[in-house]
Amino acid sequence: MKKILALAVIAAATLNLSAQERGYLTGSFETNDHIYVEDQGNKFIPDDDRFGSNNYLKLDYYNGNFSAGLQLEAYMPSIIGYPDDLNKYALSNMYVNWKDEDFQITAGTFYDQFGSGLLFRSWEDRLLGLNNAIMGARFAYNWEDKIAFKALWGMPRLGMEFSDTQVRGADLSVSLANLLGIDDIVLSVEGSVLNRYSKISIDAEEAGGKPNTYGWSGRLNFDYDGFFLKGEYVDLGKKLVAFTPKRGNAQLLEMGYNGRGLGVTVTGRRLEWMGQKITTNSLSAANLISYVPAMSTQYTYMLTTLHPYNPQVGDESSFSFNSGEIGGQIDAFYNFRRGTAIGGKRGMKVHANFSTYYTLEKEGTAQAGNLLFRDFSFDLEKQWTKEFKMVLLYSMQEYNPTYGNYKTTWLSNIFVADLLYKWTPKFSTRLELQYLTTHEDKKDWMAALLEVNFAPHWSVWGSDMYNHGQTKVHYYNVGVSYTKGRTRLAAGYGRYKDGFICSGGVCRQIPQYTGANFSITTSF
Amino acid sequence: MRTFLLSIALFISAVCAAQVPSVVVENAKGESFDTKTLVEEGTPMIVSFWSTSCKPCIRELDAVYEALPDWLEEADFRVVAVSTDDSRLLAKAKSFAQGRGWGEDYILLFDKNQDFMRAMNVSVVPHVFVIDGKGKIVYSHTSYVPGNELELFEAVKKCSK
Repeated sequence: MKKILALAVIAAATLNLSAQERGYLTGSFETNDHIYVEDQGNKFIPDDDRFGSNNYLKLDYYNGNFSAGLQLEAYMPSIIGYPDDLNKYALSNMYVNWKDEDFQITAGTFYDQFGSGLLFRSWEDRLLGLNNAIMGARFAYNWEDKIAFKALWGMPRLGMEFSDTQVRGADLSVSLANLLGIDDIVLSVEGSVLNRYSKISIDAEEAGGKPNTYGWSGRLNFDYDGFFLKGEYVDLGKKLVAFTPKRGNAQLLEMGYNGRGLGVTVTGRRLEWMGQKITTNSLSAANLISYVPAMSTQYTYMLTTLHPYNPQVGDESSFSFNSGEIGGQIDAFYNFRRGTAIGGKRGMKVHANFSTYYTLEKEGTAQAGNLLFRDFSFDLEKQWTKEFKMVLLYSMQEYNPTYGNYKTTWLSNIFVADLLYKWTPKFSTRLELQYLTTHEDKKDWMAALLEVNFAPHWSVWGSDMYNHGQTKVHYYNVGVSYTKGRTRLAAGYGRYKDGFICSGGVCRQIPQYTGANFSITTSF
Repeated sequence: MRTFLLSIALFISAVCAAQVPSVVVENAKGESFDTKTLVEEGTPMIVSFWSTSCKPCIRELDAVYEALPDWLEEADFRVVAVSTDDSRLLAKAKSFAQGRGWGEDYILLFDKNQDFMRAMNVSVVPHVFVIDGKGKIVYSHTSYVPGNELELFEAVKKCSK
């Protein structure tokens, strides 16, 4: 099947080549390589091969309305902490696509999502080792800017193969404002249905489980003069959780105001039994067919990411009983303009976020139980002079180490200063100073990073994260990068802490390791 | 495998410069927006892929924003900021862009399932392109350190002549 499709991709592209104009080809290549070394200080003993290498080659050909492409992946073997089922090499993606003014048809692999992705999402995230591309067919039709419809069928990818699971879905979006000819307002109603077929065991069938599940979602989008409101209701249908039928459902509400230098967003969400996996017999972090992200701040500074929030989608095992979560967040961004009393000569930007999430006290209700996660953060950004820019951040994070099974929570206060100084138009340095204080877990941490940049090509950095409260372990990292046009080469060496790599709220656990790394990213 | 790679190599040698493909993304109001309409206007543009969790991307767009009044005196072009934030951070990305004043000077687009990003073969952000008035990619650069914007402006000036 794969070979036939790959040949079809090239043949169709070549045929097109002789028939019409020459079209164009674009692509990208990425390699990430690690060499591991034994490190007593980090309690790390590498495997015998001491090496990990993830490689991706992607090619796309475009000619008018026609396009075709493929992706090759090779894991020789995969980098530490990546899902085990990523190994050797495979022609992982291949597609042919026709896109007209009104319709689009795709055969082969594709990515898509319905609404926010709570019902269905197919996407690629190389940082997580996640690629649940669907192998099948997809059709989309738009009637002007009034109605958009799409339908799809296929088998999601898991590891290096496409699974036996099948998904069939359709999505409809109707713009009421455009249908009625009302300008300046965005008002649309949307809905999706999703059928999922996956083999189940005889035991599961006897307990009332069915190979086919049916889910749906309804959505509303509104925007007027900067005010916006988005609502989504999702019903995943009945599924078995520990041999008991449960109905997965979620409610999401986002509202706020954007305009005049001010941006405010308020989010509320309730989840109940919302886990949706491709198959029941894989423990891979990439075994997902929907997207249930953590609706909280995504931090990037080292000490702010020690305990990222992982949403509770509903889980029943011998360790825990969690039917889901309820909570929300508020974000406010404001720009004090130039020339105002607070803004000064160059303006000042401020941001605050408050997020809080609880377990569901009782199934089928919106009653909040134990605290899962709470975060208050405030940051301000000030360009003092043409040369000097400063960012200050404070975050108070409280999280539940037992994922809500008990009331106990751990609290930490984190302070960050990020100072950028441009010595000349092409030479700059950036210094990060960070401190985390807590009475729990491994007590206090401190961290620093220095980055020296020589535009347009070179950047050199060194950082250290030190747990002086308890373990006295240094997690150091040095590196250099060279960029020319679309090509970036980077090399580094460091000791890395165990924890979670999170991207968009999906997290994968990584063990501690020490070693050298090398990467090339290029596109053409 | 060898034949397969060879046919790809032959194929690469037979085609011409990359352009902006037609992909449906969202505008700041949440309406569908086809990227081919960007090219129809016929003026050069800077297309910058960014996300709220990418600090260098924000530094680059801020640097362009600061320099924009001076640059526009020398060249006629548009700036398109494409957020690659997914539904976790989509609403936040819109508020963030407004909070920085970008909405006044930039065309803001939101590529929540990274379809445009994939079509332009962007693997990591920041990634910036300069597109000429005919829709051809004449310059692109990945990553950002302060000072890179000078090279970017040189590329814009060349194609707006």
